[in-house]
Amino acid sequence: MTKQEKDIKVSIRHLYKIFGDDPQAAMEDVKAGMGKPELLETRQHVLGLNDINTDMRRGEITVIMGLSGSGKSTLIRHLNRLIEPTAGEVLVDGENILDWNETRLRKLRREQMSMVFQKFALLPHRTVLENAGMALATRGISKADFETEANKWLDRVGLGGYGGQYPHQLSGGMQQRVGIARALTSNSDIMLMDEAFSALDPLIRTDMQDLLLELQGELHKTIIFITHDLDEALKLADHLVILNDGRVVQQGEPQHILLNPADPYIEDFVADINRARVLRVRSVMTEGAPEGDISGEVDENDNLESVIAKAEGALDRHFRVMREGAPVGSLAMPAIMRALVPARSSGETAKR
Amino acid sequence: MAAYESLFATLGLKGWCHAGESGSGMMSMADLIAKTDGTHATGPSAWNWPFPSLDVLNKACPAIPPSRDVTQGLEQGFLAIRGGLRLIIDPLTQPLSWMLRDMLWVMTQTPWWIVIPVLMLITWVVTRSWRLVAFVLISIGILAFINHYTAAMETLAIIFVCAFICVLFGVPIGIAMSRSDRLQRIVIPILDMLQTLPPFVYLIPLIFLFSVTEPKLYGIAIILYAIVPVVRLTDLGIRLVDKDVIEAADAFGMTARQKLFGVQIPLALPNIMAGVNQTIMMSLAMVVIASLVSAPGLGVLVLRGIRSLELGVGLVAGFGIVILAILLDRVTKASLARIDNSQSRR
Repeated sequence: MTKQEKDIKVSIRHLYKIFGDDPQAAMEDVKAGMGKPELLETRQHVLGLNDINTDMRRGEITVIMGLSGSGKSTLIRHLNRLIEPTAGEVLVDGENILDWNETRLRKLRREQMSMVFQKFALLPHRTVLENAGMALATRGISKADFETEANKWLDRVGLGGYGGQYPHQLSGGMQQRVGIARALTSNSDIMLMDEAFSALDPLIRTDMQDLLLELQGELHKTIIFITHDLDEALKLADHLVILNDGRVVQQGEPQHILLNPADPYIEDFVADINRARVLRVRSVMTEGAPEGDISGEVDENDNLESVIAKAEGALDRHFRVMREGAPVGSLAMPAIMRALVPARSSGETAKR
Repeated sequence: MAAYESLFATLGLKGWCHAGESGSGMMSMADLIAKTDGTHATGPSAWNWPFPSLDVLNKACPAIPPSRDVTQGLEQGFLAIRGGLRLIIDPLTQPLSWMLRDMLWVMTQTPWWIVIPVLMLITWVVTRSWRLVAFVLISIGILAFINHYTAAMETLAIIFVCAFICVLFGVPIGIAMSRSDRLQRIVIPILDMLQTLPPFVYLIPLIFLFSVTEPKLYGIAIILYAIVPVVRLTDLGIRLVDKDVIEAADAFGMTARQKLFGVQIPLALPNIMAGVNQTIMMSLAMVVIASLVSAPGLGVLVLRGIRSLELGVGLVAGFGIVILAILLDRVTKASLARIDNSQSRR
């Protein structure tokens, strides 16, 4: 096993999900190459997920992004088997959880994976504290014993002192903080987040994204995050998987996808975002020692917007790129300008 | 000539029809009238041609039984299995008789100055409302003042026992229904039937089964009639529990049991309590009818009012039942509201 394979926490292999009365029969057709519209027409079965293959690495945030109906919520529910696949494998630490019996699966859900939901899904008849300790209570730990742990995480998400309240007494953003505290209190190393911030208003959503990144900086959990919001995806993702119609359209490092969209669908998708704010210096710099006049130094993780501001808009500037204080490359303003123009996918270019 | 006689003749069934007959036999009154009428020869016209019912066909062909034979068959069938049925149902329902007898004894033999404070205490415990406690005191006080105290206590005793048994069986049945679509498909028509069957009809087979002096006779009738809402609303309440919350319970690895007692029942409780309220109201309605089969209480006085045309007695007892109904309704509704509040407004 190479080091990289070892680092893979969850991986999905040839996963298919077909909704309908006789998915196995429909599966034959799909294997034979039938597409989603034909399957719906000839068999009245819906192809939910079509040959999904992806790896999620330990300690990283993997964002699965797609529009509604793309199968992203279906996909995340396969990871803890809230939905059973029609075919394929889901490997956690190298073991196929689809072979596990009920007891083992329950242990996985109780101890290894926790989940945060779009609509919070807190227990309305329990206090915030009891909600936060739900995973531990489910394992049979008494309230007196989980209280300290639950309070610790409630404090950590900014809800210290709210333990005695009921969920309906809190605002949406605070309820989702309880949802996150609940997932953290379970001490699982995998967190599934199903459109966790989609129901919140924009400012609170930004707060919550920052909170998640801050927590992740300390805790290094394996987070699988579902969203339909590209800005959110680009902000959070270490690894981005884009789904469309139940298929993985492109996956990889977000910056890479942005600069090299694989097909027109992704192009359309990334067309509307503020590239200057999302793209980082490291993605567009030239490696090697800078030549000629240097007008300043920038960090490799600065975004292009800040570099343009530093250059005061002038096009003849040339910067030295630093990584942890050492120079690693150079960046000229024309390269920045080129990167700001959306790249065309290889397919599209060929057509023209 | 009867309407369908020619039909049987053309079908060649005449021999079969009259096989059991002994010659001319007797003539029925209807036949005689028909003969003297003179319409006999022509038979019915197309306009008033009779529907081929059992009775009409019987006239044309005596081998076909008249419809009274069908109901008689039902009677005889019931009487035939009565012994066996009694053997099973009698011991099973015996505890109901004991409970009713004991409860009636407790409620009527305990002095009023103990019973009334106990009822007020119960009201306080379930509602935490002084207003309702005062209301209980005043309404029972009025009933006692007009000498209806014992009858009212008897009625209350019957309702307490029957509602308790309805909840005891109704809630588990409702839970089972909510977990199995097949069971729900089977039970719902039965509930529909229990709910729409006229209350008097419950009493008919029960009178055949048990002796009229046994309390369980009316106990069973009341329970069958009143159990429907608690079953229905338990089933509905559990099915209406937020799917997202259930999914969260699954995602955190709750067992079916943890989910039922920790999530589903608590969240369905407002609906279940609404069912209990309806069950109590329906048992109160039935307890009056059950006085026909010796259920004691205010219903007996209502019945006396009807039987011997004692207008005042009937009206006052009826008014007493209204007071009890309001009392039970307000107390259960207030405790329901308390449950709602201690949870959330979902």
